[in-house]
Amino acid sequence: MTSRDVMLAAIRAARPAPVERPDVRARVSEFVPHAEAVFSFIEASEVAGARVVKGRRAELATLIASVYPAIGRQVSVLQDLDAGSATALPHSFADTDVFVCEAVLGVAENGAVWLPLSRLRHRSALVLATNVIVALDSAKIVENLHDAYAAIDVAADGFGVFVSGPSKTADIEQALVIGAHGAKSLTILLLEE
Amino acid sequence: MSGAARSLPVVHSAPVDHAAAAAAFNANEARVDWHDAALWFVREKRDRAVEEVPEWELLRELASNIKEHTLSRLDEYLVAFESAATANGAIVHWARDAEEHNRIVHDILVSRKVRHLVKSKSMLTEECGLNAYLEERGVDVVDTDLGERIVQLRREHPSHIVMPAIHLTKEEIGETFAEHLGTPAGLSDPTELTAAARVHLREKFLAAHAALTGVNFALAETGGLVVCTNEGNADLGMALAPIHIASMGIEKVIPGANELAVFLRMLARSATGQRLTVYTSHVHRPREGQELHIVIVDNGRSEQLGRKDFWRSLKCIRCAACINSCPVYRRSGGYSYGATVSGPIGSVLTPGIDLHKYAALPFASTLCGSCTAVCPVKIDLDAQLYRWRQIVVDAGLVSVTKQLVARAGGRVLASRRLVAVGSMLFRSMLRAFPARLLRRLAGAWGRDRELPVPPRESFSAWYKANRAHERGGADDVA
Amino acid sequence: MTVALFAPCYVDQLYPQVAIAALRVLERLGVKVDVPSGAPCCGQPPSNAGFERLGEPALHAFVKTFAKYERTVVLSGSCALHVRTHAPQLGVAGAHVAARTVEFCSFLHDAIGIERVASLGATCSRRVAVHIGCHGLRGLGLASPSELQVGRFDKVRALLGTVRGLTFANLARPDECCGFGGSFAVVEPAVSAKMGRDRLRDYDGGNADMVVSTDVSCLMHLEGLARRDGVALPMMHVAEVLAMSAR
Repeated sequence: MTSRDVMLAAIRAARPAPVERPDVRARVSEFVPHAEAVFSFIEASEVAGARVVKGRRAELATLIASVYPAIGRQVSVLQDLDAGSATALPHSFADTDVFVCEAVLGVAENGAVWLPLSRLRHRSALVLATNVIVALDSAKIVENLHDAYAAIDVAADGFGVFVSGPSKTADIEQALVIGAHGAKSLTILLLEE
Repeated sequence: MSGAARSLPVVHSAPVDHAAAAAAFNANEARVDWHDAALWFVREKRDRAVEEVPEWELLRELASNIKEHTLSRLDEYLVAFESAATANGAIVHWARDAEEHNRIVHDILVSRKVRHLVKSKSMLTEECGLNAYLEERGVDVVDTDLGERIVQLRREHPSHIVMPAIHLTKEEIGETFAEHLGTPAGLSDPTELTAAARVHLREKFLAAHAALTGVNFALAETGGLVVCTNEGNADLGMALAPIHIASMGIEKVIPGANELAVFLRMLARSATGQRLTVYTSHVHRPREGQELHIVIVDNGRSEQLGRKDFWRSLKCIRCAACINSCPVYRRSGGYSYGATVSGPIGSVLTPGIDLHKYAALPFASTLCGSCTAVCPVKIDLDAQLYRWRQIVVDAGLVSVTKQLVARAGGRVLASRRLVAVGSMLFRSMLRAFPARLLRRLAGAWGRDRELPVPPRESFSAWYKANRAHERGGADDVA
Repeated sequence: MTVALFAPCYVDQLYPQVAIAALRVLERLGVKVDVPSGAPCCGQPPSNAGFERLGEPALHAFVKTFAKYERTVVLSGSCALHVRTHAPQLGVAGAHVAARTVEFCSFLHDAIGIERVASLGATCSRRVAVHIGCHGLRGLGLASPSELQVGRFDKVRALLGTVRGLTFANLARPDECCGFGGSFAVVEPAVSAKMGRDRLRDYDGGNADMVVSTDVSCLMHLEGLARRDGVALPMMHVAEVLAMSAR
């Protein structure tokens, strides 16, 4: 017998009497919604340490430049501002000063943005870059994670990440330090058409 | 850090004497106050985060139901998960115990000639003693979570499952970094220390041959792994290394994304008071050019699943809210429990793994119920602590004196007459004996406390003298 | 309605004034009270120490003694919780008694009502630190615990709010455990004492000049510590405060 067989047999023998599967969607529909999704999103993002800049999509290039005047290496995977070759090795982004991408949606309750691989092109660039800029259509903000998961395909592209704020740690005496191993800063460009 | 590993001192093989360790911890009252305040601060952050969620109690109920449902069909969910993950291109392994887990991980590393492994936080691998196992076999293992890296450099174990270095001051951490990272002596500013760790660990990420992560949740429907961090260390490991190994306990599987939303809304709020961790990564396929291995581990969990009074402890999502809320943990520290997972949840998991070694832990509690109230998945922790006490006593693992006292007490307390007589003697004794003698007789009570001032007569005696004639015929009292 | 009054073993033997006060309060509220003999203890101490079977004879005696009463009012949250939780395991009679067993403060609040309690005219000009024993708090729902996201309520404060001249001390940790925990007090004396001293420090920080609790066992522990440390801080059960009046 393989370990798999042994383990599954042990679990089958040990498991408690069947408990009914709860209908999560039905139960969460009872929840109290936030009053103002965009406002809540901005507040939550800022609490997480992100900076939020509002602007119009037509001015995107200008907005990006204003957040980070082009010092050092900038990698942008936005369609019209592309740099970053699709065949680049993960390690090649080690010297990236600014990484720019666009999120699929934002979550009002926690200020997180959803970035599947198709929006990142490279998983490593997101976490190697010193600074990250994420563009987000302000019409694409949902209430909470229940709504977010209903709106996305969690398995699409084989990788996706919710990001809320720059990397941080409080492992030294509970003192909050922004900028642990990932990005030291996160800026959300909240766009209106 | 390769080469033969010195055995780390913290985990005892003899029975864990929590009371003795706690007494030693309490010898330094200022330190206890500091530790207690640090953890209470985290509990308060949790309270503020929870207050923002009006539906919090509903979420707890839902989270508990989801976990109980999943555990009641655990084998089916694990099979579904394996099937979906394999279809995604992951290689799934099954490990009955710690030894097998370590062997599987080592075999993967050896076959791919891995010398440098980076790890993100995994309490499971702590439980399995993976680091020492690999180091003895020539693999350089670097823990990349800042707290874990700190204790690794100090050759200590984590004292808390979420905040591994909570027991250390910034000065102590500064000394460790000066010794191992070459930071200036006396540097203790957390921002500067973290910056030094960033540079040091960046090199490790970029040079790693393999990355090992834990798993917060495994999605059965899509075969995905969910990993939550604030530092981004798991992502750096997974995105760069050509081999990603994910170790998970059997209880980590949940049905799918709808259920995931419930747990993610509760995990960070319960653990640190944040609304969500900075990075919540969903891995379904390995990255381009990478191998993804998933190791599913039992190591005593299926046995716990079969215990009618204790299987609900497997609902745990490792948030540590119970640990932060426990007034005893805060004043005794993680090391006093002698186990990877400590505090209330540790005290209901570990007796199932080794009753003899962890017999004292269920008694390291006043049964105040704060842990149960704070648990996001409604584990009946205080009820389980009570039940483990009965099992420990039945197994004869409680000292002989305690047994005699309890047996005598049980007989006496059932008999009003015996209590009356015994108590009358006791009250007379309290009045007659000098304080110093009483203190010694009173043993552990008298070390810190005065005995109560005994009254002239009991309530029963007063009632008989003043009221019983109205009711008619009370028995003799004293 | 005739209720039975149960004074826990240590109240009967060491703090009879608490039971006398409770009896007088109930009588003044127009409740007929019986104090049957036959059950000196509910069995909680050995049970919580892991010797459940040794506590069973006491619990049986409790069930037998109180079987005929509509309500059994218990002067302890811990004892009431023990009976309510474990008596049903003894059978139908046990379940019957469990359902009718209530802690003293919850009886006054729920069955008598605040208005009638206010008619006692109790007076006590003290700034009070309230300590609701954990079993009564989280086990019996005497107040909303700080961990739960439920509407705020506090039956004990409501009762003490009827006492003229009484004010409440603000505490940093209103519902942290005092550290008694029964056998815990002697099994883990260092932590037990530290927890108790931290409560005393909180009371001091809130300028409390009296501690009032639902559980005398907690007070026995806190008072023992206070007196050892030379701190003079009066401590009373809720019943004693409600009994304090000119009438």
